[in-house]
Amino acid sequence: MNEQFRVAQKIGLMFRPEIKLPKDIKDWAISQLHSDSTALGISTKNEKVKPWPESMQPDLEKRARLWRLYRENRKKERERIDGQELASAKQANRQNNLMREKDEMKFAHRNVYGNDQIRMRFMSFWANHFTIGNTFDNESLIGHAMEEAILANLNGSFSEMLYKVTTHPGMLIYLDNIWSAGEESRQTIDCRKNVDCQSGLNDNLGRELLELHTVSPNAGYSETDIRQTAKVLAGWGAYFDMPLSEMKEMAGTTNHWDVYKQRYAEPGNKKVLGKVIGVGKGGLRQLIDHLASHENTVLHLSTKLCHHFVSDNPQKKDIDYVANSWRQSNGDLDQIHSAVIDRAINSKDEKFQWPMTWLFQILRLSNATYIKGWEDLYNYDNQLMDVEKIFEELGQSFWSTRQPDGYSSKKEEWLSGEMFERRLRFASAIYNVGLPKTSPEQIMERIGANITTRNLVESAGKTRRVRFIALMCSPELMGLNSV
Amino acid sequence: MSKYKISRRDFLKYSGASLFLAGIPLPGFTKDKPPGNISVILLEGGMDGLTAVPPFGDPNLTTMRKTITPKDFLKLNSFFGLHPSLPNFSRLMAKNNASVVHATSFPYIRRSHFEGQNLMEGGGLSPFAEKTGWLGRALEIANLPGKALSLEMPLILRGYNKNDNFYPASINKSSVLNSTLISKIAMAHNKDEAEIFTKLSKKNSQRTITARDPISLAKYAGKEMSKENGPISSVIRIGQFDTHANQVSDDGYDKNGDHAKRLEIVDDVISGYREGLGDAWNRSIILTLTEFGRTVAVNGTRGTEHGYGSAGLLAGGTISNSRVIADWPGLSKNEQFEKRDLMATIDYRSVCAACIERSLGIDHDRIASEVFFTPKLPRVYDYIFS
Repeated sequence: MNEQFRVAQKIGLMFRPEIKLPKDIKDWAISQLHSDSTALGISTKNEKVKPWPESMQPDLEKRARLWRLYRENRKKERERIDGQELASAKQANRQNNLMREKDEMKFAHRNVYGNDQIRMRFMSFWANHFTIGNTFDNESLIGHAMEEAILANLNGSFSEMLYKVTTHPGMLIYLDNIWSAGEESRQTIDCRKNVDCQSGLNDNLGRELLELHTVSPNAGYSETDIRQTAKVLAGWGAYFDMPLSEMKEMAGTTNHWDVYKQRYAEPGNKKVLGKVIGVGKGGLRQLIDHLASHENTVLHLSTKLCHHFVSDNPQKKDIDYVANSWRQSNGDLDQIHSAVIDRAINSKDEKFQWPMTWLFQILRLSNATYIKGWEDLYNYDNQLMDVEKIFEELGQSFWSTRQPDGYSSKKEEWLSGEMFERRLRFASAIYNVGLPKTSPEQIMERIGANITTRNLVESAGKTRRVRFIALMCSPELMGLNSV
Repeated sequence: MSKYKISRRDFLKYSGASLFLAGIPLPGFTKDKPPGNISVILLEGGMDGLTAVPPFGDPNLTTMRKTITPKDFLKLNSFFGLHPSLPNFSRLMAKNNASVVHATSFPYIRRSHFEGQNLMEGGGLSPFAEKTGWLGRALEIANLPGKALSLEMPLILRGYNKNDNFYPASINKSSVLNSTLISKIAMAHNKDEAEIFTKLSKKNSQRTITARDPISLAKYAGKEMSKENGPISSVIRIGQFDTHANQVSDDGYDKNGDHAKRLEIVDDVISGYREGLGDAWNRSIILTLTEFGRTVAVNGTRGTEHGYGSAGLLAGGTISNSRVIADWPGLSKNEQFEKRDLMATIDYRSVCAACIERSLGIDHDRIASEVFFTPKLPRVYDYIFS
């Protein structure tokens, strides 16, 4: 593969046919960190690529309003009121008020049609790092967190991204923080007077904040550190259909991303990993700043970034290079990501691509139309599968119910007959119904395919269909070295 | 907090399970068929042994866990009860075909899901120390290659390079794949990937199951295992035991809590196996596995935090005498592990070893040293199978 495509495969999503290849690939990649692309997509199969309609990208407040409506209708459905139990009413409720399917399609479109491929890859890396699994009471929030907590903070500091993700209602709901109350909080003290009342600490988010999101077990923290972290977090968050009046009363805000309920907060200073954290809402910011710049966080995340973008077995010098840029820039993501790009280009090691990344890449390369348009989101199509179903069959989705440690970047975790068969089948389906506009020969020419790939395609047969499948499942297009 | 309606419960019905079949004898390859078969149900997230099998005879249970202990538990003996969401398991116990091991765990005390799950599947001496799994290694010693039925290959079964997996795909408009094409693709790939493609090119693409719910998967697994040259082993994964909140329901019904609903799936899976296995039930053992138990005390959100000791559920016709096997450590603060968790007094690896010994006919000492790398691992076989 030529250098432009090798790099675009490793850290990007490949160049669409209409794009002129950049001369200096590293300059291009780093400048891509600031590429300004709105969400692009298609309205229906035969339409031109254009920006996603504003009406399908509501802000958090609007999402909360829709979510309340959705929940009310679900309640009516169970109680069989207003005909809400009818199939048409249920369908309308989902279409009008639920964001999950719209967000999934938008994510797929952005990846297939966007002009910001490097940003998309880093967004996916961080969305996976900060996994927000679908608990079905945060399903309208996952897409919002990816775009507004992660993508919108991609050019700032790690600390800021960490703060925005930790306080995002999607995360606070997913890791059970919304009801956590300090043991000495007003809420818990009042509660003790009442026999049936339960109130106290929940350490789920506190534990994962340390273990997965920042310092990792290598920091040697104790159970006490985890409890103290949970105490800093106590009071943060609310369920997404909490009435605004109630939220105003409890947290003095109507912004779901800024909910700190004084009644649930633990009084007094806390101490995490030796650092004294002050009382009140500002405590979390102090804790996050401390964790974000902690040496164990720097090492943990520099290694994880290298595993994802550089090599399954990155060299120590690569990890050091990224870690140094982290230290020198005080956790500036532009600097960190630039260092990752530098190492990824420098290293000639193969990087096996995730199923979803591979899918986006082959759709871009072949200029196939395999993702429905937004106007067809809820229309049955006997050719094109729903986006949600595509992700399910790929075995990878940011909207699935899963554990907070996310998907592995290592090849060995993805080696299975079934996973490989899915690739063959998707390549075949994309050819059959996605109607690629670029031929296998044109693709090979443009990417500078290696001899193994050319021989494979040649030996596969005469029909364009088998040549297409062979190319898409070649080691080269899966991110692998060949024999 | 009970005034707030929490919607989390709704999702439980959506979440599925996954199945892996392994240890499929190859004609002419396996000389002696092992005496039985072994199935593992992985309970991810940390199953609460004190909820599944409440030790109601321990006076500290009600004082420490009043709000989350099931009220209508079924009595197993004068000390232990069974959660009402396990009726099938209870019937099997009445028939002397099921047992419980309590106050047990893998030797892992750090309370991280990811380390704990790695250890319970890998069965190594420390988390992430092993690239293979204990069941995979045991099957390797028994000379049984196999395949897994799932989208990914679980760690517990790795270790055997002839392992393979399949899971019914449902991709619209994909054509029937031609084996010549796939072998050409295999030839272009390096070793590991080439092997996978080669196997794909040879496999029978006929799909036998389409349902993906846990009970159908268990029935299917049982049926496959009952066949003459069927798999010797299967693994079913059930997630979301991690009930930090709403472990029990606020409506007061034992069966409506989040943990109860997961137990109900376990119960259904065991009865699915029973049905699917048919006569093969008599040579079967099924055991549950979880990464850790949960705290003795209830947290502030009607749930429990990550703990240590838990319980294991065992079922199968190879059990002929039902009992609760435990060296009960007690629940008072001083008897708890680090003053918060149920202490584990039985190393669960011993239980796994006994099940391997029974089903695969491998000598205990060999299992101890080659599967679990712990030559002095205590043998508990007689407690379970005599």
